[in-house]
Amino acid sequence: MTDMPNTPPADAIDYRRRQKIARIVQRLVIVVSAIVLAIYVLAPVSWLVSSAFQTEAEIVSIPPHWIPDEPTLRNFEAIFTAGDSEPVTYETRSGTDPAAGDFIPSTAKNLLPSMLNSLIVATLVVILNLLVGVPAAYAIAKIRFWGRNASVYFILITRVIPDIALVVPFFLVIRKLGMLDTLGSLVITYLAITVPFTVFIMIQYFEGLPDELDKAARVDGCSRLQALIKVFLPLSLPSLVAVVLFTFLASWNEFLLALMFTQTSASQTLPILLASFTSDFTVSFSFLNAAGVLAVVPPVIVAIVFERYIVSGLTAGAVKG
Amino acid sequence: MARIRFTNVNKKYANGFHAVRDLNLDIEDREFIVLLGPSGCGKSTTLNMIAGLEEVSDGNLIFDEQVVNYVPPHKRDVAMVFQSYALYPHKTVYDNIGFGLRMRNVSKEEIDRRVRDAAQKLEISHLLDRRPSQLSGGQRQRVALGRAMVREPAVFLMDEPLSNLDAALRISMRAEIKELHRAMQTTFVYVTHDQAEALTLADRIVVMNDGVVQQIGTPDDIYERPANTFVASFLGSPPINYFDGVLEVGPDDRMSFIRDGLRLALPAAHAARLKGQDGRAVRLGIRAEDVAEGPAELEVNALSGTVNSVLPVGSDQYLGMDFGGEELFFRVGKDLRHAFGEEITLAVDLNRLHIFDRETGQSLIWNAV
Ligand SMILES: Nc1ncnc2c1ncn2[C@@H]1O[C@H](COP(=O)(O)OP(=O)(O)O)[C@@H](O)[C@H]1O
Ligand SMILES: [Mg+2]
Repeated sequence: MTDMPNTPPADAIDYRRRQKIARIVQRLVIVVSAIVLAIYVLAPVSWLVSSAFQTEAEIVSIPPHWIPDEPTLRNFEAIFTAGDSEPVTYETRSGTDPAAGDFIPSTAKNLLPSMLNSLIVATLVVILNLLVGVPAAYAIAKIRFWGRNASVYFILITRVIPDIALVVPFFLVIRKLGMLDTLGSLVITYLAITVPFTVFIMIQYFEGLPDELDKAARVDGCSRLQALIKVFLPLSLPSLVAVVLFTFLASWNEFLLALMFTQTSASQTLPILLASFTSDFTVSFSFLNAAGVLAVVPPVIVAIVFERYIVSGLTAGAVKG
Repeated sequence: MARIRFTNVNKKYANGFHAVRDLNLDIEDREFIVLLGPSGCGKSTTLNMIAGLEEVSDGNLIFDEQVVNYVPPHKRDVAMVFQSYALYPHKTVYDNIGFGLRMRNVSKEEIDRRVRDAAQKLEISHLLDRRPSQLSGGQRQRVALGRAMVREPAVFLMDEPLSNLDAALRISMRAEIKELHRAMQTTFVYVTHDQAEALTLADRIVVMNDGVVQQIGTPDDIYERPANTFVASFLGSPPINYFDGVLEVGPDDRMSFIRDGLRLALPAAHAARLKGQDGRAVRLGIRAEDVAEGPAELEVNALSGTVNSVLPVGSDQYLGMDFGGEELFFRVGKDLRHAFGEEITLAVDLNRLHIFDRETGQSLIWNAV
C-alpha cells in the first residue's frame, strides 16, 4: 500500500468548492423569490393602508406617495360621523369639490351597520358550522352506518356545483320562506356552501386519528358524544382553526348571494356596501380605502387570535401513540 | 366479577364479511382466557363484542345472567388494553390513567389514591406529569395497563398488548401480566397470535381460525392433544411434521402407521381408539422435539434421512432432514454434531404421535373441542 496523496491532483474537480457555490446560488434563489412574492402580496395591502391616511388630492398625485406627506384621519372621521352629515343629493354634491376629498358616498352612513351585519353573519356561520359539521364528520369517520359512503359522496357533490348555479334556486327558496333582506337568508345559504367543506376537512382529520383511540375512550366510559368532545376535539384543534378561519372569511367576503338577497341596510353586508360606494356620482378613493382598511381589520384579528392554535395544534398532532 | 358466555354468537360486518361463526364459549369468573389464532381470524372482533365496541349480529352474549348484546361499552364494567396502547396524546400520564374514573364520577381523592397506587405498582410514578409522546414504548405499555387497572373492572380485556414491545421486554411483561391477574382476581380475556404468550399465560386457550373455534382447552390440551391439523400446526416451533400413510395391523396384531420408508408402531392406547380402522388413510404428525438420537428399536420407531441443514438457535438446534424428497425439521440438543449430507436415524417418541383424518384434518385420537 502506498501513502494517500495529501493534495488532490491538479486536474481534479474541486467538489468542495462546487458544493459551496451551489449552496450560495440556492440560497440566493430562495431569498429573491421570497422578496418578489412578498412584494406581490404586500404591495396592494400597503397601498390600501397608506392611502387610507391620505387626502384625495394626495392619492391621485403622480408619482404616488407610499408614505403620506401629511397623514390625515379625516377619512376615518368621515366614516364614523357619516350618519350625522346631510344626505348627499345632486345639489349638495355640486357644492363640494371631489378633488378636495370632501365628497362622501350617499350610502356612507350604512357602513358601520353593514359591518355589524357581516360580523353577525360570519360569527353565526362559524358557530353553526362547528355545531353541525364536526359531529357529522365524527359520525362519518368513526361510526359504520348504512349509507355512510353515500352521504360522503352526496356532501362532496354539493361542492362540485358552482355557486352561481345555485343562486336562482336559493333565491326562490329564500323568497318562498319570506326571508329576503334578512340576515337569516345569508346564514342559511352560507351554511349550505361552507358545511360540506367543514365536514370534508374534519373527516380527513378524524380518519387520521386511530380507531383505537375512539374505542379506548368509549371503554373508559365515554358516550359517543363525550368521546368526541373530550378526546377528538382537543386533538383536532389545528383543523378546527382552519375551519373557523375558512368559514369566517368565506362569509365575510361573500358577495354574489348577498347581492341577491339583501336590499337595505337591514341586511346588507360589508362587501355589498363597499361596492355601492363606486356606483355613486363620483368615487372617493380616500373614503373607499379607509372603509377597505376597516373591512380588513376583523379577519386580521381573527387570524391573529387563532394563529397560535394552528402552531401549537400542529405539534400536538405529531404526538401520536 | 363476571362470567361471560357466548351462545351461538355470529358476527357479520356491515360489508357482509362473516368474521365470527357460531361461537360458543363459557368463560369462568376470574379465568384467564387467551384467544389465539393467525391475523384476521376474528380474535379482536370477539374481544370487541365483549367490550361492546362491536354489535353481536346473532346469538347471545351473557355477562353472569344478563344478556348484554345491546349494552353500550360505557355501561359495561370492562377495561381494555390496546395493541397501539391508544393513550390520549393531549393528556398527561396522570390524566390518562384517571380518565376512566373521572368519567364514572369517582371522587378526586379516590382517583388520586388509585392512580398513585397503580403508578407505584407499575413503577411509573416518576412519569405522571409527562405526555405519552415523551414515553418509551415500554412505558406507554405500562400506562395503558395502569389505565385499565385503576378501573378495577369486572372484565379485563387485552388485545395483543405486548406485540409492539421488543423481545426481552415482552417476556418480562408476561410475568407481570400473570401477576396482575393473580392480584386483581378478575376475569381476563387476552388476544394474541403468539403461541408462547398463550401457553405461558392462559388458564384456557381458545384457538380460532377463519372465525371458527378450532379447540378450547388448557395449554396442555392444546399442545399435547391438538384436535385437528390446524391446531397442531399453529403451535410448536419448528412446526409439526406430517406424513401421509395408512394404518395397518401387522401379524403380531400391533397397529402401525405405514408409508414408504417408514413404519411406526402405535402405542396401545392409540391402537385401542383406532380399532377396526385397518387400512384407513391417515395423516401422521410428529412434533419437532419428539425425536431423539438414540438406539432406535429398528422397525418400530426409526426415522432415517439425510441431513440437509443445521440451524443452531442458541439453546438447541433445528435439524433439517430430507426424507424421501420431503423436508422435515426437528429440534435436537446442540451437542449432537451432524454434517450436511450425513445419513442419520432418529428415534421417534411413539407416545407423542398425532394421527389425523387425511380429509377433514380432525384428530383420530383426541376429541375435538
Ligand atoms: N369493520 C370491519 N368491517 C369489515 N370487515 C372487518 C372489519 N373489522 C375487521 N374485519 C375483518 O374481519 C376479520 C377479523 O378481523 P379481526 O377480528 O380484527 O382479526 P384478528 O384476529 O387479527 O384480530 C378480518 O378479516 C378483517 O378484515
Ligand atoms: Mg386483532
